[in-house]
Amino acid sequence: MSALSTADAAALLYREALHLDRFDFDSWLVMFTPDCLFWMPAWRDDGTQTEDPDSELSLIFYRGRRNLEDRVQRIRSGFSVASAVMPRVSHQIANILCEAQGDGSVTVNSSFSVHVFDVRTSRSHVYFGRYEHRLVQVDGEWKIGEKIIRLMNDLVPTMLDVYSI
Amino acid sequence: MTTYALGDLIDDRPQDGVFRINRALFADPDIYELEMQRIFEGGWVFIGLATQAENPNDYFSGFIGRVPIIVSRDGQGMLRCFVNACPHKGVRLVQKKCGNASRHVCPYHSWTFDSAGVNRNIKWQKSGCYGAGFDEENHDLAQVARFEDYRGLLFASLNLDVPSLADYLGEARKLIDVVVDKSPEGVLELVPGRVTFTYAANWKMQLENCSDQYHFTSTHPSYVRILEQRAKEQVDEVVQSSIGAADFWQEDAKGVSGGTMSFANGHVLNWGVMPVSNAQADFERAEELARLHGEAKRSWMFNMRNLTIFPNLQIAENASSQLRVIRPLGAGMTEMQTWCIGPRGESAEARKFRIRQYEDFFNPTGMATPDDTVCYEEAQLGMARQERPWLQGHARGLSASVEGGNAWSDLLDMHPSRSVLADAQLCDESVFANYYRAWAGLMKGALA
Repeated sequence: MSALSTADAAALLYREALHLDRFDFDSWLVMFTPDCLFWMPAWRDDGTQTEDPDSELSLIFYRGRRNLEDRVQRIRSGFSVASAVMPRVSHQIANILCEAQGDGSVTVNSSFSVHVFDVRTSRSHVYFGRYEHRLVQVDGEWKIGEKIIRLMNDLVPTMLDVYSI
Repeated sequence: MTTYALGDLIDDRPQDGVFRINRALFADPDIYELEMQRIFEGGWVFIGLATQAENPNDYFSGFIGRVPIIVSRDGQGMLRCFVNACPHKGVRLVQKKCGNASRHVCPYHSWTFDSAGVNRNIKWQKSGCYGAGFDEENHDLAQVARFEDYRGLLFASLNLDVPSLADYLGEARKLIDVVVDKSPEGVLELVPGRVTFTYAANWKMQLENCSDQYHFTSTHPSYVRILEQRAKEQVDEVVQSSIGAADFWQEDAKGVSGGTMSFANGHVLNWGVMPVSNAQADFERAEELARLHGEAKRSWMFNMRNLTIFPNLQIAENASSQLRVIRPLGAGMTEMQTWCIGPRGESAEARKFRIRQYEDFFNPTGMATPDDTVCYEEAQLGMARQERPWLQGHARGLSASVEGGNAWSDLLDMHPSRSVLADAQLCDESVFANYYRAWAGLMKGALA
């Protein structure tokens, strides 16, 4: 089992971001394991986030890539008015810190901001927060086993889809 | 300021089969100002649940119209509601959304109040050389004029001259009972995790959308297709849908599939038949609910129900269970505070199922709500003043609307002022008139 350098981990996160910026969802989806966790907790009060997704609400909670595939299907369906005029997005990722776990996986903490220009309304917005990726090796390839998105500005102007976080 | 006569804004002529709304009602800032004064700051509004402040000295903050408030349980356990502003300089006393405190100290000059709102200290009062008039003033926090609880749902009014809460809610109380009685403890609670979003359109878009069955298959086909595909494939990783298990919205459904009910003071129900099935979190207690409350009431517990308590509370039990609070920020801007609600005492498994269903459908980060809010914004563009002021969106179902209730309301011994029994394609819009008739009642004397 090969080790993952910080540069490699960063490259993986940048590649994920590029796929989202380009709406290349097929390439984005295959970066995840089939049983991946994709989780954006909600805020419980002013300063703490929900921690137990089974008894507390999340903004998004998916276990299984199939859920992300459904999201992508909705975006592409031509039947979602919220996805009819796609916003333009640009992801920035910084402050990358890697930590190897005992089970061979690697936890990657990072900061993100996603600039969103909503073409439909000519409004701009920035979503920002932290990512916690857990990367796992599958058949010699590093995949996203978990992605936790800690959204700091959780007052959502009209909508937020998977490509704007 | 444009001066309107009521008839310029609401064309209500039942004898001619006409009910129309002027676009100005959604866009005019002067009308928005009147709504703030007359409706949100002049009548009953929903402010929260008693379970948000359960223990002595628990509090949460919020707004009535534009006025900041605190709901606080005092040291003796009594719930109170104050204006969240120091009498000294008007500074907002509590900035946190919720917490526990026996004393609230103003951050500006340290005036101090207890959890019952009583002034406990004015800093350096003795050496303050105040005039005689100061001593005669009440230095406590201002209690709101009216504050009452119905089954743990808290309502308040800044205006003293309103009916009792029981009279205000009237027969719609029985629909609140249906929600609360699902709990073995008779307590409705919020699932931790608040979700707030805004949309750039009028608050009444949300008011109507909750009661709008007509939009579902048009606005949400992308979601409907996913439900259909999931039903076909039976995949374990995705949450089962309660909507998918019902056919009240499907165009080929046979017979009565639901309808609408209007209640005094602007409260509205849009409902649809849903089976007692394991596609709903409450199924684990289905037998017990029938035993405790009878089969008739249980069938209502499982039906799709979108209840609006005018003007700012909506309880939607369809894809999951949601409580929404509508907070207008301007004629063209609205904030929605949304919560997943659940009956206290349900199993951990049922709660988890409820939460997963909720996130899928209701969140602004989910697969349905964004298609609604985008439509509101697109509709707001069409509210610009134009040659043809009258909208055509309140006419459907008019000739099916009858006075009083029907066999379904009888099941709850409930007496709406009007009702419509519908097949899947009727999708009544005439029920919206109930909102605007209540609106007109609160505007008496304010319009030319």
